[in-house]
Amino acid sequence: MKDVSALIQENGAVQDRSIYWDDDIYLLEQERIFARAWLFLTHESQIPLPGDFIATRMGEDEVIVTRHTDGSLKAFLNSCSHRGNQICYSEMGNSKSFTCAYHGWSFGTDGKLINVPLENETYYNNIDKNRFDLRQVAQIDSYHGLIFATFDPTAPPLMDFLGDMAWYMDAFMDVPGGTELLGPPMKSILDCNWKVPVENFIGDGYHVGWAHAAALDAIQSPLTSMKGNAPGYEPKTSGIQVATEGGHGMGIIWDAAAALHVNPAYGEWIDYRTEMVREKRGEWGAKLYNGHWDASIFPNCSFLYGTNTFKHWQPAGPRSIEVFTWTLVEKEMPEELKQYLSVMNMMTFGTAGMLETDDGENMEGCTGTNKGWVTRQGKVYSGMGQINEGPHDELPGIVSDGIVCETSYRGFYRAWADMMSGKSWEEMSRGGSRRSIKEVA
Amino acid sequence: MSAVAEKVAGKKVCAVNSEPPVEREQLPMEVMFEIERHLIREARLLDEERIRYWYENYLTEDIVYSMPINVSRYRREQTRPLPGTNPGAGAFMDNYELIGMRITRLETGLVWMEDPQNAIRRFLTNIDAEYLEDGSGDVIAYSNFTVYRNRRQRDQNITYGQKVDLLRKVDGKWRCYNRTIHMDQRVILDKNVYFFL
Repeated sequence: MKDVSALIQENGAVQDRSIYWDDDIYLLEQERIFARAWLFLTHESQIPLPGDFIATRMGEDEVIVTRHTDGSLKAFLNSCSHRGNQICYSEMGNSKSFTCAYHGWSFGTDGKLINVPLENETYYNNIDKNRFDLRQVAQIDSYHGLIFATFDPTAPPLMDFLGDMAWYMDAFMDVPGGTELLGPPMKSILDCNWKVPVENFIGDGYHVGWAHAAALDAIQSPLTSMKGNAPGYEPKTSGIQVATEGGHGMGIIWDAAAALHVNPAYGEWIDYRTEMVREKRGEWGAKLYNGHWDASIFPNCSFLYGTNTFKHWQPAGPRSIEVFTWTLVEKEMPEELKQYLSVMNMMTFGTAGMLETDDGENMEGCTGTNKGWVTRQGKVYSGMGQINEGPHDELPGIVSDGIVCETSYRGFYRAWADMMSGKSWEEMSRGGSRRSIKEVA
Repeated sequence: MSAVAEKVAGKKVCAVNSEPPVEREQLPMEVMFEIERHLIREARLLDEERIRYWYENYLTEDIVYSMPINVSRYRREQTRPLPGTNPGAGAFMDNYELIGMRITRLETGLVWMEDPQNAIRRFLTNIDAEYLEDGSGDVIAYSNFTVYRNRRQRDQNITYGQKVDLLRKVDGKWRCYNRTIHMDQRVILDKNVYFFL
């Protein structure tokens, strides 16, 4: 395998193309990123009652996420501790227990082994059932309803892991009544490396006008002015891009939360709520709430606030992903508004979405060309905007002018490189990608 | 006792479909023929990319055109309400205006993935139709479909499913006012489903 420390260069601005293709790099990602980082699982509203469960994956590990009988959240491997068979094949539901289809071993909603058929007759009561509980995640927690877990007992608490990203997201997550992801999610396949959509969502303001020119033209919303990246469009003054510590990041277009919508009802809701947010979180809070965001939470979860799409990019081999798509809404929104936002999320960023289909094609293209050995010896570049970024007087993170730059790409790849090199959480906080940006200033 | 153990113990936890089909008035032969040819011609027009013509001549302006999610749950829970407040999740749930927007996008000539042109071939089989039980004279038509898509050099995908249409006669011509597309996949295995059925 190539030297891991050389895969990312120039402070995150240059990536070796092998990271989008090579099997051994992918396997190392499973070990050093997906078995360590906090990973998104689902939203609390999907498992509200004791016994409710969903089946999903953490990296390539199959897991069951439950609301245990005592109301707590649990997540454990979806693989029988007897001979390894997958236990649960239903994607969601409510159950007192999970029974393996092979020999009938049965586990509780906390993953504890509760029943072994013919236990007396075959094991002569000489089996220590505690040895065979399903492997639990090391930590599980939620942030305003978004449930995350990690297999790493040494990982920092979720709120430290999210760091300043949570401060930014509070502007629209911490609203009266809270937020919700409308599920069950759409699911679809893209033949691309998992990092390609993450980097697209974290900070690609550049492609919007070009890749989505047709959709911007057809939808005829305020964002149509971006079509074709034509002269007259001033990306510098339109918003900011931010790389927070830990590899999270976002681009925000000011005063544009409802800008991709043709129905005025959503804009009216945003205006009404902005005043409430301003009272609670001040001018910056109001500005963030009323912005349109493209964002990724390290390592593999993204969202567009304003277009209301929430994505989980599940790696399925180095060159394929399973895409889960939810609709992000506020719980207190009227039912018709939720319905409208759900329909528009499908229309724009669903698997038949007017913008998603543009992106899917490019994501596959950015991966597939690396099949060529010569091609794979090359690099790709995310150096845009390095001269106009830095610490901000009032906002956390590395902040740049405008949404059309690649500041948050670089933040993501610095964090990726740190984790891939096997640094401890402590090392990453002290001198690496997890240090507070305020220290840099 | 676990659900599996209950089943093994002979307790009826769930079963295959035991509901009899809805009894509906059957179509006379010539109307059945009209419906079949209507659906087959519609598929040919779409294969030929005559999408605007299809939009204006085959749909009503109150159409609901949707592809719902086929949630994969245990049989005993099939009818259990889903958690959360989602009024309906799917790949799309379009009205006439949204279908129009999708077509306008294709007409801009700026959709890079449609250039060079993709080959899409629709096959309709197992067409069955009956009068709706509400006495309106409207027709419910079921059909199975296969869609073959071939793109670029070696990119191809075959998808199977069922269409359930509600058709009404407007000025002597059948038009669809409700189409529900059931894909026989929980995870959409094609890179997208941005095509019309």
